[in-house]
Amino acid sequence: MAFPISRQKALREWKLYFLIVPSLLLVCTFSYFPAASAIYHSFFDWAGGETKQLIGLDNFKRAFGDQVLWGSFKTVSILIVFNLFKMIPSIAMAVMIHRVKSDRWQYFYRVMLVVPMIVPSLVTLFIWKFFFDPNMGVLNKILDFTGIKSLLVSLDQVFGWGLFFENAPIGWLSQPDLILPSLFIWGFPWIGAVGVLIYLAGLQSIGQEIYEAAELDGVGPFKKFLYIELPLILTQVRLSLVLLVIGTLQGYGLQLLLLGEAGGAGGRGMVPGLWMYNKAFVAGEFGYACAVGMILFVFILMLTFLNNKYVRVDK
Amino acid sequence: MSTAPKDFVGSHKQKDWPKHLIICAFIIIELFPLYMMFQVSFKDNASFLRNPWLPSPPFSVVETRLAVDGTETVKTRVADWSEAFGSANPSDPAVKSAEKSFDLSVYKAKNWNFGLKLIGPYIANTVFVAVTGTFFTLTLAILGAYFFARYKMPLSGVFWSAFIVLMLMPGVANIVPLFSLLKDMSLLNTLWALIIVGVAGGQVFNIFVLRNFIEDLPKDLFEAAEMDGASHLAQIRNVVIPMSGSIIGTLAILAFLGKWNDFLLPLIILRDKELFTLGVGLIYLDGEYVKQWGQMMAAYFIASIPLIVIFLFCMRLFVRGLSAGAVKG
Repeated sequence: MAFPISRQKALREWKLYFLIVPSLLLVCTFSYFPAASAIYHSFFDWAGGETKQLIGLDNFKRAFGDQVLWGSFKTVSILIVFNLFKMIPSIAMAVMIHRVKSDRWQYFYRVMLVVPMIVPSLVTLFIWKFFFDPNMGVLNKILDFTGIKSLLVSLDQVFGWGLFFENAPIGWLSQPDLILPSLFIWGFPWIGAVGVLIYLAGLQSIGQEIYEAAELDGVGPFKKFLYIELPLILTQVRLSLVLLVIGTLQGYGLQLLLLGEAGGAGGRGMVPGLWMYNKAFVAGEFGYACAVGMILFVFILMLTFLNNKYVRVDK
Repeated sequence: MSTAPKDFVGSHKQKDWPKHLIICAFIIIELFPLYMMFQVSFKDNASFLRNPWLPSPPFSVVETRLAVDGTETVKTRVADWSEAFGSANPSDPAVKSAEKSFDLSVYKAKNWNFGLKLIGPYIANTVFVAVTGTFFTLTLAILGAYFFARYKMPLSGVFWSAFIVLMLMPGVANIVPLFSLLKDMSLLNTLWALIIVGVAGGQVFNIFVLRNFIEDLPKDLFEAAEMDGASHLAQIRNVVIPMSGSIIGTLAILAFLGKWNDFLLPLIILRDKELFTLGVGLIYLDGEYVKQWGQMMAAYFIASIPLIVIFLFCMRLFVRGLSAGAVKG
């Protein structure tokens, strides 16, 4: 803890305040002011320029009747479920690396996990876009190569999806009904290096004697995970769960780059953040965009409170 | 990092190799995009379509085609792997003769030249933004963290909560007003806008981590420095910075990575092509060109090189720092 300090001494040390002033000023200007401005402008009809007109709650009324906005909330909830599922491989990977006996191999695997991080995330995104390309893309080539495509085609004939055809390449990002599956596949095998390293750090605190005891009791590998390993990384799992949900809810970079400003074919990939971006920078309706942002903000804030109340993250 | 022997972590009865096998399979899939990026960067579209998976063999095949009217056309293509060790197979019946020869020009070094020319300027801009931004972020964060960690000054509780609240506040609604704020400050379409917004955005997290770290430093060091008449700035320079090198290094890497990967803010702020950072630059390329994937992949690879350099020098810091920082929270 910081030293408590008497009032006289604090007065003598007034110069200390100079140290915090720059950070404070920056945060006020670029975090607090925009937030306040967003609240203020959500009550205006504003195109980003000098002229604006107070219209009361009209923006919010419009938002509540906005089919695209509510559709986008539905899409983002599906994406959140996807992303929760995508946490599993990282946990499994961490546990497996932890159980490897040799320390040297453990370090080697960690390094190998970090290696993909040297690729800028944007580049990863574009490489995946290339994978999804119908004619040149690697995904379609793999499906052809392994024969999974003919399986998909015959399944299509049975269920009548109308998505996969014998002689046409699969249009992953251009078929409305394939956009959500594409977003699910995206990033396979869904191992986040940072996540794995964080879980590993948690696992490392498990004492050897616990394993010895479990060994004597004849506990199997899966039960070991359930009763020894999972409880110990639960803090980290919860933390990344919370960050993931909030991150997915407000993220739109992936959708913007992969599918475009309109959320792809049929707007199936539209998420609330992208709708806000679209309204502001494509349609020029800044006031309405602020209102959409406020609604999203309220959702996230509610989640944060719920999470602080029920999902305790102990430091 | 635990020092305990690992004998009991895995069961004695259980073999180790299935785990190795699964882990390796995952890692191979994980590295697959990296491999594709590198391998495709040496190909043009035609040779990629002929042979998408493996690097081209160092042979080219010259095919002479006889058309129906008797004219001959000569075409050069990259050899397939099946031809690399045998003789050339004509690719269709119209080919009269096919000649295989050793040829290093199947590796399109031109792709790399082209890629470098495309995104070299963007990389320069990004390095400027990322380095300046990281420097100022950490400098200000160290000063701020020192303020919170050293004494409990009047009002420091209020300031602290002002920072912490921001951690819980979603930033997504800010982007529209931020845009108009930058417009009013006539910072739109400048690199300084990116730097200054990045520095502001980095304060909360970095101050949070550094405060905890500085508070754990032995108090005697500060007292001794004070006895010697060191000012606060001198204490920061001679006590705080030398003692917290590793955490500052980790934070610097994270800050640098964040700025290197950023594309939403630059996309909104930057208009001039000369000012593009990597993020916008790549998006722009993605839309602009008839896709020669080889050139694109070379450009992508070049975009990763600065990170590769950092990674090579700081790998230990990277791997250790990420794990250790996580435990401290």
